[in-house]
Amino acid sequence: MATERYSFSLTTFSPSGKLVQIEYALAAVAAGAPAVGIKAKDGVVLATEKKHKSILVEEHSIIKVEVVTDHIGMVYSGMGPDYRLLVRQARRVAQQYYRTYLEPIPTTQLVQRLAAIMQEYTQSGGVRPFGVSLLICGWDTDRPYLFQCDPSGAYFPWKATAMGKNFINGKTFLEKRYNEDLELDDAVHTAILTLKESFEGQMSSDNIEIGICNAKGFRRLTPAEVQDYLANIA
Amino acid sequence: MQSRMVELETRNQDPQGDHGPQERNYILSLHDVLMKKSILNYNGGCVVAMKGKNCVAIACDLRFGVQAQTISTDFKRVFELGPHLYIGLPGLATDTQTVLQRLQFRIKMYEMREGRRLKPHTLMAMMQNLLYERRFGPYFVEPVIAGLDPNTKEPYICALDLIGCACEPADFVVSGTCSESLYGMCETTWQEDMEPEDLFECISQSLVNAFDRDALSGWGAVVHIIEQDKVTTRTLKCRQD
Amino acid sequence: MAVEMAMEPDYMRDPRKHHFSPYMENGGTSIAIAGDDFVMIASDTRLTRGFNILSRNQEKVLRLTPHTMMASSGCWADVLTLSKVLQDRITMYSHEHNESMPTTAVAQMLSTMLYWRRFFPYYVANILAGLDEQGKGVVATGASVAQIQPLLDNQVAALNMKGATPPKMTKDLARQLIHDAFISAAERDINTGDGIIIHTITKEGKTEEMVKLRRD
Repeated sequence: MATERYSFSLTTFSPSGKLVQIEYALAAVAAGAPAVGIKAKDGVVLATEKKHKSILVEEHSIIKVEVVTDHIGMVYSGMGPDYRLLVRQARRVAQQYYRTYLEPIPTTQLVQRLAAIMQEYTQSGGVRPFGVSLLICGWDTDRPYLFQCDPSGAYFPWKATAMGKNFINGKTFLEKRYNEDLELDDAVHTAILTLKESFEGQMSSDNIEIGICNAKGFRRLTPAEVQDYLANIA
Repeated sequence: MQSRMVELETRNQDPQGDHGPQERNYILSLHDVLMKKSILNYNGGCVVAMKGKNCVAIACDLRFGVQAQTISTDFKRVFELGPHLYIGLPGLATDTQTVLQRLQFRIKMYEMREGRRLKPHTLMAMMQNLLYERRFGPYFVEPVIAGLDPNTKEPYICALDLIGCACEPADFVVSGTCSESLYGMCETTWQEDMEPEDLFECISQSLVNAFDRDALSGWGAVVHIIEQDKVTTRTLKCRQD
Repeated sequence: MAVEMAMEPDYMRDPRKHHFSPYMENGGTSIAIAGDDFVMIASDTRLTRGFNILSRNQEKVLRLTPHTMMASSGCWADVLTLSKVLQDRITMYSHEHNESMPTTAVAQMLSTMLYWRRFFPYYVANILAGLDEQGKGVVATGASVAQIQPLLDNQVAALNMKGATPPKMTKDLARQLIHDAFISAAERDINTGDGIIIHTITKEGKTEEMVKLRRD
């Protein structure tokens, strides 16, 4: 196709040295639903808000917290469709690693490879950066891991963090509440409280989602389990 | 236990003379039936590895030949890939070297990328990939891996065929032109939970007596005993024929 | 329906080749060990054809004279024929000389008989064992020879053993070695297994013992 010849990368440096497309992508993330991640002594928790446009939506057929491998899971803030592509890539990368080395992929490796994919979308022709930031949590070599991965391909290891709408408030809240010897149960509790800071309306097991990761692996909490945690807060 | 291996006397025997394999045009060539013709046997050579108590051993012969003709007698076919990680690559000598180089490349890339040491089991997986990539034009080597896990210090041995099918037994693995003799020796001499000295004696006697009955391997041997805190490498004196 | 066959004349075609392969490998392993006043000869009892087991109870040691025995393995049809002819000639010898044939004479005759078939050989590996002018040699032959021979070199001839002299061969030691060697062979070679029969020949006469091996 003749048009392909002119399909430059959209992310071109502005005269001031910025890549505005990436900044717009980050803006899309900042406008997205909040997501929280907290590392505890014995595990990690991911939590996110899951508000629906209509009361007619089947709440539990929409899933935001996803399993990547037995011991790694992730969640996002930003654009859902972009996230699904990254989840698929993450699972593919994890499987490929396992097939090559016959051992589960270390969380750091998965994050690095996922970040490399996201970076590729800031430099290739005919594509746009992803409109999502990822929170990836994992458990390997007997310790928990928590990473944030941005549209630019930058990634950060966190003890605890918040992304999406009101993330600054969320982080401030976490800075106050976080301490090093948190247990996983307390971390889930804190994660819910962090979401609650900016939550509009009544929180229920239908409109938040929680995933936990520990030595046993990663799993999404059932609505009933979420309900139990919420009951303790009220 | 007193070693019977290290300072063996050299036996000065008359060279056997050069009786290369001869073509016979019988109705049935016994030679073809008995001689397993394969590129794997072109250069000769063998490797054996054994598990002991908190230690492993790997050993190889030193002959490099072209069919019946011996070219050199200092061709090592066991290589160090890490502090407690060794691989033996018996088979076609050119592939021994190529596979080693390609493997070292992959290991360095892995260790830099992941910032950690390679586990023996991971090396096995790597080897499987490397070999199976050439499923229909294979490297003619049948590797043997021996090492201690860098984290658990667990002894590990395994053998692969030339297209990467791995075998991880609990006792010993053999490979090369005198594998059948090695099986016979190891099967009788190997015992569970041998200490490093006993393991050395066991692997050395198994290797030397096995390759003494094989024209394509022998001419000296190298034995590595891999323990948690040290690796001992010994060169054995053997009959030179 | 008449179909006209378009056939080349036979002189245009390649000569028809016939493959003649009259041999078969039926497995079987034998060991013999000689001591000062005895000789022990043993063979396994499995008879195979490829991956099939034809018999689990086929002895391969032939009783030739009161003090000579022979273990044969290879192509079983050839073993049978060879042993038949050999027996005939040994019987003829005893008739002519009025005494049983000495072991050395049997050995010489066997050698001659095998060489007569230089260009269409009996596909048989033999160990002859007897009491006459016995040496100290130890031999294995047959399917599992690769597994067994290095062990015997090491344990009987004390090869590669610094400062060690070959042990004094007793019946107990010989029996133990044969047993160990066969256990190893049965472990790694599908052609060997099921059982072994160990024959001991001494001046006093012959004894035999059956030992079980793995049957898979």
